[in-house]
Amino acid sequence: MYLGQLIFLIVGCVMVAAAIRVVTSHRIFHAALWLIASFFCVAIVYMLLESPFMAGIQLFIYIGGIAVLTVVAIMVTKDAMSADSRTVSNGWSAAIVAISLFGVMAWTIVQLDLPTEPGMPVSGDSLPLLGAALVDPGGYLLPFEVVSVLLTVVLIGALFLGREH
Amino acid sequence: MITGIPLSWFLILGAALFCIGVFGVLANRNLIVIMMSVELMLNAVVLNLVAFARFMEPARITGKAFAIIVYATAAAEAALGLALTVAIWRTENTVTIEEIDLLQG
Repeated sequence: MYLGQLIFLIVGCVMVAAAIRVVTSHRIFHAALWLIASFFCVAIVYMLLESPFMAGIQLFIYIGGIAVLTVVAIMVTKDAMSADSRTVSNGWSAAIVAISLFGVMAWTIVQLDLPTEPGMPVSGDSLPLLGAALVDPGGYLLPFEVVSVLLTVVLIGALFLGREH
Repeated sequence: MITGIPLSWFLILGAALFCIGVFGVLANRNLIVIMMSVELMLNAVVLNLVAFARFMEPARITGKAFAIIVYATAAAEAALGLALTVAIWRTENTVTIEEIDLLQG
C-alpha cells in the first residue's frame, strides 16, 4: 500500500466522522467546530490531489469565511448556544434516504470504468493557465463576471437584511 | 509525488460527504444546522470537480475553474442565508424551521 493511500484513508475516515458529528451533535456550537475539522480534511484531500491552490482557497473561504460566519450567526442567535437546542425530526427516514442514496452512488461509481492514474503529468505550473482561462473571453470570463455581480448583490442584500431596524 | 489513489476513492468520499449533508438537511430543524449541511454538500461537489480535473483532463483547468465559481456561489449562499437567519431571529425569536410562519395567512 502506498503512503498516499494510507493518508487518504485516515483523512477520509476523520472527514466522514467529523461530518457525521456535524449533523448529529447535540450542541450546535460543537457542530460548527466539527464543520471546521471536516473542511480542514477536505483541504488535505486537495493536497493529495496535487492542487495546493484549491487547498489554500478551501482554508481561506471555508474556514476563514464561511465557518467563522456560521460561528458568529450561532452566537448572535442566543438560544442556539444552549444544550439540546436542536431537535431532530424524522431521523430514521432521513437516514434511510441518505444511506440508500449513498448505496446507489457507490454502486454506480464502482460500475464505471474510471482511471486509476492521473492522465498526464502537469507541464510546469498550471496556476497561470487557470488564471488566464478565468479572464479569457473564450474561456470562463462570462461566469466569472456573473459571479462577481452575484457577490456584489449578495453583499448589499446581506447588509440590508442584517442592519438594525 | 504521491500516487496510487484511484479516482473512484475520491468519488466515493465525495458521495459519502454529500449523503451526510442530505441527512443533515432532512433530519434537522435548526436553520443554522441546515445551512452547515448545505455547505457539506457543496464541499462534496467541489471535491468531485477537483478530482475529475486531476484525472480526466490533461490541462487540469476546467474542473478548477468550475470549482472556483462554485466557491464564490457558496460564499454568497452562506452570507445571504446567515443574514436571513439573523433577520428571522430578530423578528420571530426562533431559528427552528417549524416555528417560522411569517408567510402563513
